[in-house]
Amino acid sequence: MKFLLFVILVAALLAVRIVRRRRAGGTTVATTAHGPSAARQYFETTFGDIGLVAAREVRERTRGRIYRVGTLLMLAVVAAAIVIPTLNKKASTTPRVGVVGSLAPPLRAAVISAGSEIHVTVHLVTESGLASAEKDLRAGRLDVVVDGERIILSQAITASDTSTIAEFARNLSEGLSTLATIAAAHLSPAQTSALAHPIAVPITGLTAATTKGAAQGTSIIGLILLFVLLSQYSAWILLGVAEEKSSRVVEVLLATVTAIHLLAGKVIGIGAAALAQASVIVIFALLLAKAVGSDVLQGTAPVELASSLLWLVLGYAFYCWVYAAAGSLAERQDQLQSLTFPLSIPMLVGYIVSITAASSGNASLFFKVLAYLPPTAPFAMPVLVGLGQATWWEFLGAAMISVVSTVCVARFAAGIYRRAILRTGRRVKLREVLRATS
Amino acid sequence: MAAVLELRGLTRRFGTLTALDNLTFSVPSGQVVGFLGPNGAGKTTTMRAVFGLLDLDEGEVLWNGSQVRQEERRRFGYMPEERGLYPSMLVGEQLEYLGRLHGMSASDAAAASTYWLDRLGIADRATSRVDALSHGNQQRVQLAAALVHGPELIILDEPLAGLDPTGIDAIGAVLAELARSGCGVLFSSHQLDQVEDLCETVTIIDHGRLVVTGSVDDLAMGGESRLVVRVEDDREAAWARNLPGVTVSEIAAGAVRLVLADSTDSQAVLRAAERAGVVTEFRFERRRLSEVFREALS
Repeated sequence: MKFLLFVILVAALLAVRIVRRRRAGGTTVATTAHGPSAARQYFETTFGDIGLVAAREVRERTRGRIYRVGTLLMLAVVAAAIVIPTLNKKASTTPRVGVVGSLAPPLRAAVISAGSEIHVTVHLVTESGLASAEKDLRAGRLDVVVDGERIILSQAITASDTSTIAEFARNLSEGLSTLATIAAAHLSPAQTSALAHPIAVPITGLTAATTKGAAQGTSIIGLILLFVLLSQYSAWILLGVAEEKSSRVVEVLLATVTAIHLLAGKVIGIGAAALAQASVIVIFALLLAKAVGSDVLQGTAPVELASSLLWLVLGYAFYCWVYAAAGSLAERQDQLQSLTFPLSIPMLVGYIVSITAASSGNASLFFKVLAYLPPTAPFAMPVLVGLGQATWWEFLGAAMISVVSTVCVARFAAGIYRRAILRTGRRVKLREVLRATS
Repeated sequence: MAAVLELRGLTRRFGTLTALDNLTFSVPSGQVVGFLGPNGAGKTTTMRAVFGLLDLDEGEVLWNGSQVRQEERRRFGYMPEERGLYPSMLVGEQLEYLGRLHGMSASDAAAASTYWLDRLGIADRATSRVDALSHGNQQRVQLAAALVHGPELIILDEPLAGLDPTGIDAIGAVLAELARSGCGVLFSSHQLDQVEDLCETVTIIDHGRLVVTGSVDDLAMGGESRLVVRVEDDREAAWARNLPGVTVSEIAAGAVRLVLADSTDSQAVLRAAERAGVVTEFRFERRRLSEVFREALS
């Protein structure tokens, strides 16, 4: 969370600085071509252009219906994923147990103990007879009936049933069995009391305990979000570049700004809008989970959250250039699908393999290799972190590889963009662009 | 010294095709220069070269004697042949954005946007999306986009294409006003009558090479001298047929069109006409620009 706030703060400060510089520059066009003023002018022009293009992208993107509806839709899906399990849990957190006849202290202790073992509170009801207890059970007023040494449910359970009531019934069965065994042994009250309150034997491990289960859950949710958001943001870049080309506005823009500044502004602007959306979703999820007491995000350590967000940024940074280059090759919107299909394969492979690894809780050597490859690392590395199978230096190494690869990919993609964006009339072939000088 | 755009020896090849072939001409400030040529002559390529939208194999583009760089281009305005605006962006915001990309402050860009929308008669469309406008109004917005930052030079590729006479007049008036205020204007068009009315200078190219350049007056009066003579009640113009150095080109509506050889004295022709009767019309005839164009390319 702190990391996220830090990123937002830095982005806001940079935006303010750019705007201030731009305003200070005003309409002045310096005539000095040498010395510090020339360098300053270059700096101001460069960052001013990129800032203006980025600001337009943010404004147009966040104003669009697709952005607003998409954000609301994702918030609704996230809310459902968090709230629905909570509703189910609440319905079974307080098993209503009807006890036929008297409620002796050992029996009360056994029933409460059966609930506390699975972290639920039990509501006890004394029933005058079996008939009325069964009637309440059928009517849904009770979940479990205890009649002497019998446990009655509205429907029998199977061995694979892991619902709260099933777990509770099994625990209660063991507890009542113990009570019956103690009673059959004819022990003294002191012995009975000692058996009823056993002292737990300590369990220790060679290494400290981890929150693996929760982390696994978080990894899967994070993965799905990463895939959805990365796919969406890459599509924004693709469509944005293709729209500028097909509407021919790019020729007007490139008469004023350089291709690399235009592209950088676009990438940063769409990235900022994307990060804002992702941040809203994550903050919403955390706040909602806390408010409704959901355990979906329990065990989400700040480092895991920061890891997912960092890889979202790194993944976007890597893929956005590639998709921008693809967008510059298209003449019409209907050509985009065939252009981007090959680009989506590594993303899909990374996602599917990572989901499999997160579900099984095992990271194979192949999967660990994928965590270092920039196209698949945005999915694989957060899973490794979630499974506790990545050290800080492995994480840093993968991030560094991704950053360096992104710089190389950006240079290559910017070259393609510069050569292809003004070629109109038909779809541009990559081979032609690589051979061309301009 | 008046600012001037100079194109020197521009050469650009696309594979085996030479789009620009050592092309040289200039666009002085305060003048409207018509840039003419048949389709595929290299006009758009030339304009793109001025804005650095393609690399030149040879040659250079100079502004006031210095190589044109990005910061000079910010002071130019450009209206490309294939109109380019963001379809879903609001008209006013789009103009402000383009003005700011040219280095204007936010307030200056907003004021200039309002001025040009008003000047071009579409002030009420400032908050409309571009794709909601008619073709003519989109054309006006495109022109405003090229003018919003108060350029020192404006280059327009086919600005009159697809416009009705009212639109042509409106854009023509703006171009003339810009030139009067000291702005250099270079524009291409196939509507030669409009070019003749608007331009002081024309440059004609073909196959990427300069064919002819000069003032419209000089080009119209250049070549063979043409004389129109009307003699009262004379329908045959027999008096002109045996004059040395004179060729009868056409007799129509009681007037005869004569083509004079370079050495022919027009006063001798006048005296011959007076001997035939009362001369009611005697004038040199200008060549239409379309004739100059066809002759240049023939």
